[in-house]
Amino acid sequence: MKIKSPKDFWAGLMFIAFGLFFLVVARNYQMGSAVRMGPAYFPSVLGGIMAVLGAIIVFQSMIFAGPPIPKLSFKPLFFISLALVLFGYLLKPLGFILALAVLIFVCAFGGHEFRAKEVAMLTVVLIIFSVLVFVKGLTLPFPLWPEKFS
Amino acid sequence: MKRILVLLALLAGAAGAGAQSWPSKPVRLICPYPGGPVDISSRVIAQKLQEALGQPVVVELKPGAGGVIAADYVAKSAPDGYTLLMGAIATHAINPALMPSLPYDPIRDFRHVALVVQVPNVLIVNTDLPAKNVRELVAYAKSRPGKLDFGSGSTGSTGHLAGELFKQMTGTFMVHIPYKASAPAVLDLISGRLHLMFDNLASSLPNIKAGKVRALAVTTRMRTDFVPELPTLDESGLKGFDMTTWWGVMAPAKTGNDIVARLSGEILRALDSADTKERLRTMGSETPSVRSPEAFTAFIESEKALYAKLVKVSGAKPD
Amino acid sequence: MDMSIFSNLALGFGVALTPINLLYCLIGVLLGTLIGVLPGIGPVATIAMLLPVTFSLSPITALIMLAGIYYGAQYGGSTSAILVNLPGESSSVVTCLDGYQMARQGRAGVALATAAIGSFFAGCVATLIVAMFAPPLAEVALKFGPSEYFSLMVLGLVAAVVLAHGSVLKAIAMVILGLLLGLVGTDVNSGVLRFAFGISELADGIGFVVVAMGLFGIAEIITNLELKDEREVFTNKVTNMWPTREDWKRMWKPILRGTFLGSALGILPGGGALLASFGAYTLEKKVSKYGHEFGKGAIEGVAAPEAANNAGAQTSFIPLLTLGIPSNAVMALMIGAMMIQGIAPGPQVMTEKPQLFWGMIASMWVGNLMLIVLNLPMIGLWIKLLTVPYRILFPSILVFMAIGVYSLSNNPFDVLLMMLFGLLGYIFTKLECEGAPLLLGFILGPLMEENLRRAMLLSRGDPIVFFTKPISAGFLIASIILLIILLLPNIRKKREEAFVEA
Repeated sequence: MKIKSPKDFWAGLMFIAFGLFFLVVARNYQMGSAVRMGPAYFPSVLGGIMAVLGAIIVFQSMIFAGPPIPKLSFKPLFFISLALVLFGYLLKPLGFILALAVLIFVCAFGGHEFRAKEVAMLTVVLIIFSVLVFVKGLTLPFPLWPEKFS
Repeated sequence: MKRILVLLALLAGAAGAGAQSWPSKPVRLICPYPGGPVDISSRVIAQKLQEALGQPVVVELKPGAGGVIAADYVAKSAPDGYTLLMGAIATHAINPALMPSLPYDPIRDFRHVALVVQVPNVLIVNTDLPAKNVRELVAYAKSRPGKLDFGSGSTGSTGHLAGELFKQMTGTFMVHIPYKASAPAVLDLISGRLHLMFDNLASSLPNIKAGKVRALAVTTRMRTDFVPELPTLDESGLKGFDMTTWWGVMAPAKTGNDIVARLSGEILRALDSADTKERLRTMGSETPSVRSPEAFTAFIESEKALYAKLVKVSGAKPD
Repeated sequence: MDMSIFSNLALGFGVALTPINLLYCLIGVLLGTLIGVLPGIGPVATIAMLLPVTFSLSPITALIMLAGIYYGAQYGGSTSAILVNLPGESSSVVTCLDGYQMARQGRAGVALATAAIGSFFAGCVATLIVAMFAPPLAEVALKFGPSEYFSLMVLGLVAAVVLAHGSVLKAIAMVILGLLLGLVGTDVNSGVLRFAFGISELADGIGFVVVAMGLFGIAEIITNLELKDEREVFTNKVTNMWPTREDWKRMWKPILRGTFLGSALGILPGGGALLASFGAYTLEKKVSKYGHEFGKGAIEGVAAPEAANNAGAQTSFIPLLTLGIPSNAVMALMIGAMMIQGIAPGPQVMTEKPQLFWGMIASMWVGNLMLIVLNLPMIGLWIKLLTVPYRILFPSILVFMAIGVYSLSNNPFDVLLMMLFGLLGYIFTKLECEGAPLLLGFILGPLMEENLRRAMLLSRGDPIVFFTKPISAGFLIASIILLIILLLPNIRKKREEAFVEA
């Protein structure tokens, strides 16, 4: 058997994995009966169906030809993810303003080109705008500066 | 005269606090239930506190896990009076009984500042049901074991537990149908898909008045002055039946006495003011009977004991 | 139906057109548009925040402003969906599909104008429907019980497959994945925590905004950044801002159909309004002769769902005004706002407080008029936004997304989760698995399971109820027919391929 449609092959495998995952985890909950369906009933049925669908998709990928999977680009993936996580977990300790600066600088590395001066200006503009709109205007309860200095 | 006394008492309190300059920055009131009556009353109280304390009082939403996330957050916050909780019957009386591993202790981890809202529940039935009072309902249910359905806003809610207690005290057997909120359950009650439910008085009052549902009794020990002609379950043969939904302001355990006293005083003053009273009243709240931090703690202790017992007898548990 | 409707509407306009009410209506729709454009900041949080401000207002003024926030947010939501593929609300997910593609082709202005026109028309019709038929339509809401809702959800799921334009099998698998993700959190019936793995933030399930913005917004940014040249992201030539004669010809029928479908679904408090935009898109894709263009920038794919969504937003006031039953979180908050003003929402509002009832209905029309007058001139400004270099645009989008998602429950966990869904969405695009069916499954999953289990409990385990109740049976039959229609061309195609190969 040869993989003729790699996109479908991997998609099918992904569905099988997700299906089995939900099926296995649902074993921790009660199945119940048709009258009193337990918490495991619905997810088990769905997980099973999805695994079967995944298997059919994998099978089809060996028969019908399809285009190859385009290359993954890890640079934007990495910097965008890192920027978001840093922002989330730095907002409370560092305050809104510094967390925003971190977010903008880190994600800008994921772009096509990094122009330090431009990013710095963008940071200032976005921070002013966000503080005015979100903190002053919509009164979101974010600390502006690190706890110690406020 | 009374006002002058209060003023003097406040001045004395302020003098006692001395070096303490609380509050010198915005105070956060954490609310576990966005969008509902708890959220709304939090904002009513926050606005009054803000006027009285001279610092912004911001309501911050922290939903999740039936209020556990918010309560746990405040329990572990700095006890400096800047982080408060709108704690409720679920976070402080029902969850401890339902959830085996609660991350906080509802009594020891908190200062219970002031009870803000107390709402009675009411037993309502579909209008096609022949039962006109509680006795007739019990007889009707007994002649049809397992045939009647009662709805509730969620598993483990006061509506659910009231139904289970009702079943247990009357020896009837009915099926509990849980919903995601009480509104869709009321809809199914009006249209006859459910037979009865225990709902909060404020939200069912309009439908009771419009004759869309029939009210048989209130769940509180005393009759409510919203519908004085409505009997209590206690006087309808279910001796000792007493359930109220409530919520109030709490602070982390080590919060100073002067802060708790100041907050409690300001909240009580707000609750006694005509406009706040009126606003909370339209939400179905009676003026709280509990009027000091100590009494509030005692009240929560008794509620916690009540629901521990109730959850046990009803067998209600998250499986 | 009698002539009193005119005197009632006259009374309503008398209230809605007073200077103070006009002012607060304007404030409401402006604020609504703003929070609608900003992803993650929803009307629920905004209305709750503004409640104290309304204490000092008269009840009708307060309600007019709050309602304005609600439908203003619906308008604003489509703007960020079209411009940058950011669905801030469930209703704008569908708008992303073709609206964003139109923007990529330089037709953002046309898409925005279409959305505004469709919404305005739908808003007018739906307001009239609310005014004329609110009480009898409330009876429709009462006819829908668990079995009817379950069957409606089944129809919705079958329709979900139409949202995708690729492989049907993959679309079905994505719907199911969505259903399963929707089950994460506390089980309504038993109170058990499912698929939460001890993470307390998951107890209330995964937020819709988190999934939608991850799959659509974040994945789109990463995909755009991997293009060799950033000028490829948006074509710089903006063809035209205003719909052409051809566009008008193509959009009016979808708007009409979307309006009626949305009005009908909006009445159902059990999640009907959620289906409005999805349903309208599916319908158009099936009946339109441009069906093959859907997903590649078809104007019908913007016109119909936008109309449906706005119509549904208006008619979802019906259960609130006539029964005191909220159909969604915003309506629940409106009930609170009414209570705080000393009004108990319910059947008696219409008779006891006719000024309030009719004033609010009239203000909805006024608000819709304000929205279109405000929004059409804004289009030029929005389009300018797309000429900003992408290296400036994408950090700005990320900033708004991160703030919005963080504010959902003031917790970094939601931001983390959005990032994970962004990764997943990126992988999906590589594997040609489409996000829209997943999102519809995600919305429907919990509703479907809940109603299925409730129906089975009420019938004591007899599945026949789904077929003996006429409305429920009707939906199920419609689902079967739709399924056959969906599969037929597929089978035919496969057979044709087989023949060719033979």
